[in-house]
Amino acid sequence: MILSSLVLLFIIAPLAGMFINTGATQFLETVKDKEVHQSVWLTLWVSFTATFIFSVGAIPFAWLLARKKFPAKNFVQGIIDLPIVLPHTAAGIALLGFISRDGFLGKLASFAGFDLVNHPSGIALAMAFVSLPFLINAARDGFAAVPERLEKAALNLGAGYTKVFFTISLPLAWRSITTGFVMMFARGMSEFGAVVIIAYHPMIAPVLIYERFSSYGLNYARPASVFFILVALLFLIALRLLSFKRKVKYINNDAETY
Amino acid sequence: MLRLININRRLGDFVLSDINLEVSDGQYYVLLGRSGSGKTQLLELIAGLEHPDTGKIFLDDIEITRQRIQDRKVGIVFQDFAVFPHMTVFGNIAYPLRARKEDKKSIADKVEKAATAMNIRHILERSTEKLSGGELQRVALARTLITSPRLLLLDEPLSSLDTSLKDDLKRLLRNLNKEGQTIIHVTHDYGDAISLAKRVGVIHNGKIIQEGSVNEVFNNPSNRFVARYAGIRNFFKVDISREDGLFVGVTEHKVIFKLNGVTPARNNLLLIKSDSIIISNEMPADIELNAFKGKVTEITPSEFGMEVIIDAGDLFYTNILTSEMGKLRLIEGKEVWVSFPSKAIVVINGN
Repeated sequence: MILSSLVLLFIIAPLAGMFINTGATQFLETVKDKEVHQSVWLTLWVSFTATFIFSVGAIPFAWLLARKKFPAKNFVQGIIDLPIVLPHTAAGIALLGFISRDGFLGKLASFAGFDLVNHPSGIALAMAFVSLPFLINAARDGFAAVPERLEKAALNLGAGYTKVFFTISLPLAWRSITTGFVMMFARGMSEFGAVVIIAYHPMIAPVLIYERFSSYGLNYARPASVFFILVALLFLIALRLLSFKRKVKYINNDAETY
Repeated sequence: MLRLININRRLGDFVLSDINLEVSDGQYYVLLGRSGSGKTQLLELIAGLEHPDTGKIFLDDIEITRQRIQDRKVGIVFQDFAVFPHMTVFGNIAYPLRARKEDKKSIADKVEKAATAMNIRHILERSTEKLSGGELQRVALARTLITSPRLLLLDEPLSSLDTSLKDDLKRLLRNLNKEGQTIIHVTHDYGDAISLAKRVGVIHNGKIIQEGSVNEVFNNPSNRFVARYAGIRNFFKVDISREDGLFVGVTEHKVIFKLNGVTPARNNLLLIKSDSIIISNEMPADIELNAFKGKVTEITPSEFGMEVIIDAGDLFYTNILTSEMGKLRLIEGKEVWVSFPSKAIVVINGN
């Protein structure tokens, strides 16, 4: 009990300290600082877009992982978890080689007329690279929890595979998928290591906080941190609420039918 | 017509072996077996949810062994119903029609009609969350029937219903079959088999061990496993008539059953549970009882004591506790009385 409280305190204390040490005037000035709120906005929309775009491929992939047996499935699962254990700067370096002008994706982008490095699209890739496992794993667990019998019943009723996926599997796994979506979004938004290697500019909030700290010191980094945390929390709470509403409904359903 | 030829399928330790089966159009085929006998697996093979390792499946002379589930026109109603929890009753029943992209008007009409037939029209707009087992089953049945399946597969449809709902559903299934729906019904309950089947197959340890009409299977069980379905052997086909204001049933061997307090229809099957049959050395005093004089033809050990078979025109099968055996001093060839009250007779609508 005491140990648990200590652990909890360990999480709360630094954050609380930071909030307390930030003066109101300082904070308001930071909020008005165009550079700050631009970077926060950039962080939010790039992470959201990355999550959204990658979910198009990640969600069907998660379904495959939950339902199908295929050779080297454990190996594939290991690869998916790899970004979680890699040092993020190392992930950034690896990704940089891939998206710089000499890399495969970089060349493709040059053809299209833009450069991925120091560009929001590059930031999005860096965020996705380190945060994708959260969405895939959560969605996979969600699909695995949908009784396979319901999918088979739908097939038996004459629906094709795509139809079954969109009308049965996806809606029933929706709670886990939104949770995964929120986690990927949150993880992408807080990413520093991989992003700073791909793009110092345009500055996302974690990079900006680091820059303020290394150039001006703790007192200047603090208000920006507080502002970013507040905005991020607001977003997360909103998304959580959205998925929570559905959660209640599906728990009832599960209990009733299975 | 459905034909299964030499079907083999291994699932872990369990093996379905050498299944040969023919179900003609308009048939009501009951597949009888205990849990774990392989009956559900066999249904899943027919529906295409699983595939056999070897063997072939034909429906109307077209091979469907490897055909995709959604192309088979074989409807299955699962034991747990598999009603979609995130849709209303309407959404569930309309699902197959929406999958076929029918227009809204025709979907609404057909769902309405199916729901009326199943007596669930009043719950169409409800979510499936708070439906009873009986309602869920009707939803599942309506949803499958709306696809006009060539073949309807039912997995233990009666097991989760209470008695009054059971009778309703039996009536409904009988009517469906009368209208021409071919049905394969899987159950562990011989009572369901007797009351619904035109043909019965008994499945045990992954093999079909006996097959035939209800009479053939239950009157001439091919082995002890079939026979061990409790009570199934006291099974008599009778003509019902009225004598002195009392209903009686007469078998082809002229054994006359008094049917007090039962309201029989024509062409009935009578069932007497073996444990309600009493054996005595003297004629029972109570004239209300059905009592017949007969000869002990066979005494064999059973799990409850002894199984004693008495020939009183028709054969009666009884279970006698070992302690009773001593008192009665039964031996083969001895003349005894079998008796049982009218209320021990179960009247079943024969096909």
